[in-house]
Amino acid sequence: MRITQGMISNNMLSNLTKSYSSMNKYMDQLNSGMKITKPSDDPFIAIKGLGYRSQLLQIEQYSSNTSEVHQWMDNSDGALENATKGLQRLKELATQASNGTNSPSELKNIAEEVKQIKEDLIGIANLNVNGKHIFNGADTDKELVTVNSDKSITIAPSKGPVEISISDGINLKANVDGDKVFSKDFFDKIDSFIDKLDNGTGSVDASIADMDKNIESVINARADLGARMNRLDLIENRLSQQEITAKSTMANNENVDYEKAITDLLTQETMHRAALSAGSRIIQPSLVDFLR
Amino acid sequence: MSTFHGLEMAKQALFTQQMGLYTTGHNISNVNTEGYSRQRVNFETLSPYPSASRNSPVMPGQIGQGVKAGTVERMRDQFLDMQYRSQSSRSEYWATKTDALSRMEGVMNEITGGDGLNKVMDDFWKSLQSLSTNPTNAGAREVVGQKGLAVAETFNYLSKSLEGIRTDLKAQIGNEKGESGKLGDANSILRQINSLNKQIGEIEPHGYLPNDLYDQRDKLIDQLSGIVNIKVDYESSSNSSLKIADGIANIQLVDAQGKELGVKLLGKEDMQKKDEEIGKFTIKYSGENDTVSELKFGVTDITDKLESVDGSLKALIENYGYVKDGAVKGHYPEMLSNLDKMANEFAIAFNTQHKKGFDMSGKEGLDFFTVDGANGITVNKDILIDPNKIAVSSKNDVTGDGSNALALGDIITKPLKSTTEGGEGPLGTNVSVKSFYQQLIGKLAVDNQEARRMAENSGIQQLKVQNDRLSVSAVSLDEEMTNLLKFQHAYNASARSMTAMDELLDKIINSMGLVGR
Repeated sequence: MRITQGMISNNMLSNLTKSYSSMNKYMDQLNSGMKITKPSDDPFIAIKGLGYRSQLLQIEQYSSNTSEVHQWMDNSDGALENATKGLQRLKELATQASNGTNSPSELKNIAEEVKQIKEDLIGIANLNVNGKHIFNGADTDKELVTVNSDKSITIAPSKGPVEISISDGINLKANVDGDKVFSKDFFDKIDSFIDKLDNGTGSVDASIADMDKNIESVINARADLGARMNRLDLIENRLSQQEITAKSTMANNENVDYEKAITDLLTQETMHRAALSAGSRIIQPSLVDFLR
Repeated sequence: MSTFHGLEMAKQALFTQQMGLYTTGHNISNVNTEGYSRQRVNFETLSPYPSASRNSPVMPGQIGQGVKAGTVERMRDQFLDMQYRSQSSRSEYWATKTDALSRMEGVMNEITGGDGLNKVMDDFWKSLQSLSTNPTNAGAREVVGQKGLAVAETFNYLSKSLEGIRTDLKAQIGNEKGESGKLGDANSILRQINSLNKQIGEIEPHGYLPNDLYDQRDKLIDQLSGIVNIKVDYESSSNSSLKIADGIANIQLVDAQGKELGVKLLGKEDMQKKDEEIGKFTIKYSGENDTVSELKFGVTDITDKLESVDGSLKALIENYGYVKDGAVKGHYPEMLSNLDKMANEFAIAFNTQHKKGFDMSGKEGLDFFTVDGANGITVNKDILIDPNKIAVSSKNDVTGDGSNALALGDIITKPLKSTTEGGEGPLGTNVSVKSFYQQLIGKLAVDNQEARRMAENSGIQQLKVQNDRLSVSAVSLDEEMTNLLKFQHAYNASARSMTAMDELLDKIINSMGLVGR
């Protein structure tokens, strides 16, 4: 084949362009830290990458949802613990009032304390955490217990549970059904205790059992809550596992292997220098330089 | 035998070598001229003396009369031209296609683009999830409104950007009369080739080879082959033309395999016509999407033939959009209509779910999005002004319920359901809004990857044929320098032989017959 100067310089130029374009590719990889910079570099990696990114984002969102559930449960548990303490004090007072050695004024004093504890229990039932009444189910902006003007008590009817999504398709109930713990009956029992103390009518003995029943209903609610808290912990562990897996899968899929990219770049650089120095040799001399 | 035979022979030799020197100079001058083919003077011996004829003198043998320049010919291989041209149609087709698809990919880049549609959809989903855990939180409501607006605006941006590129593509194709863009180029090239045909037709009958006009014509034909597939036949310009003359170029439209399509772009008959009378490409745009509905050459409709050819024109039309069997085809209009479909189905499904819910004041939800294609989709103004109108609750009197927000989030990630029981979903069986978009990106990526690979491969092929062609036609300076020396030496020697003849004659004229003087 007949080769001319023009052909050699054309070929050298086109090879240099190719060499520049692969250097550009490796530079892109190193700068962005990704194997690909546009979907058409590798459609398979690109589409998988889109999926992984959404998946990771969902896992992160579910993790943040679980902390929300934690907040609900921890607050409910704390409040119920306080309610138990209050009820235990009520039981003590009932026992104290039942031994028959109390004078009417002493009974009055006991009644005063019981009334205070009742107020406290109403406060717990209407507990407001971050603007939400946590014992009133989904109807969080209303109070569970309303004290009417005639001192009678109304319990708001349940509007369903608060459910928070903690995994794809899995919702966990975050609240304690306040209307089941702090029921009308719950307060009626305390009221009848106060009534007995105030008026000295009826046997206070029955109130000891009543308070036991109240304590039991709170403890049952806490047991149920505890079981759900265990489940939440399991799910949280699983989510953090999933997050690690998703991150490493994503990294394997699209992150550049730096050792490889740097080696590739260095090799390409060496080849480029060789091509340049060869080019300067090829283009320089022609017969003209040797004719006089 | 004439006394002056030697002088005449030396003179012819001087002239001929000089011609060789000039042609070498012409070659050296044009070493960097694109499309130039090196030229050679074909040296021929003059017919010897005496010729065989009735009155020829009796001599011991025929004696040579020296050299003459036969023809000046260009070094070119028409088969390589053919290969180059079919390769050029191919590589221009793929290069133009990958160019257009890369622009689309640039707009829809989900990898390094940051806030692509996939990302803003994910963010929207996230905001709905957060809202579901805090349904009464005004901030979380505000975020949902804004993230929804971001989704709508991303749809708008994609649609507008793609439409913008389409406008560019239309300008690249050219206007309806074929005066601009690629059509304008093709028409102007045909006119120029016709005018060269005319000039060549005037020169060839005189026994000349208009080499430089041939080169110009070949360069134009090369350019035309990048726009559409063509085949060139040559027809003798006249009986008195040389056998080795190229003649008049007839150009026909062929398909990608080189099969004739029965459309003649230019022929000998066009030489008589004025520029505005020869056939030209024209195009018609119509329909809702302003797509190409008709492509004509002269009076012939070549719309259906376009699919079987290569070249940049086809690539542009394929991207811009055309009508086939009543349906709109083309990468850009298809992508745009898919985005419209996605935006509409998403908005409809989202609105339906939103209306099932109840807002902060216990009223039923409004339309969240306006349904108006990817270009027009936006978030209901009332919701943006008052985020309390977002229907988060699925019970009309429970503001703390966030289950409708979860259901709204599912519209993004879960397959869209058919309105009829067991029917196919609006975006396909088991296809969610996000996976539909991922399919679009995937298809675009695969198409562009293929186009890029083909452009690269056909580019390499074209370079190879170009090198083969250069190997035959390109000027080599070393070779020309060698020729320069060769002709110079021959010139010097011829001059020397003339001096020798001069001395001989001097002897005869001035020194002969002077015996004893």
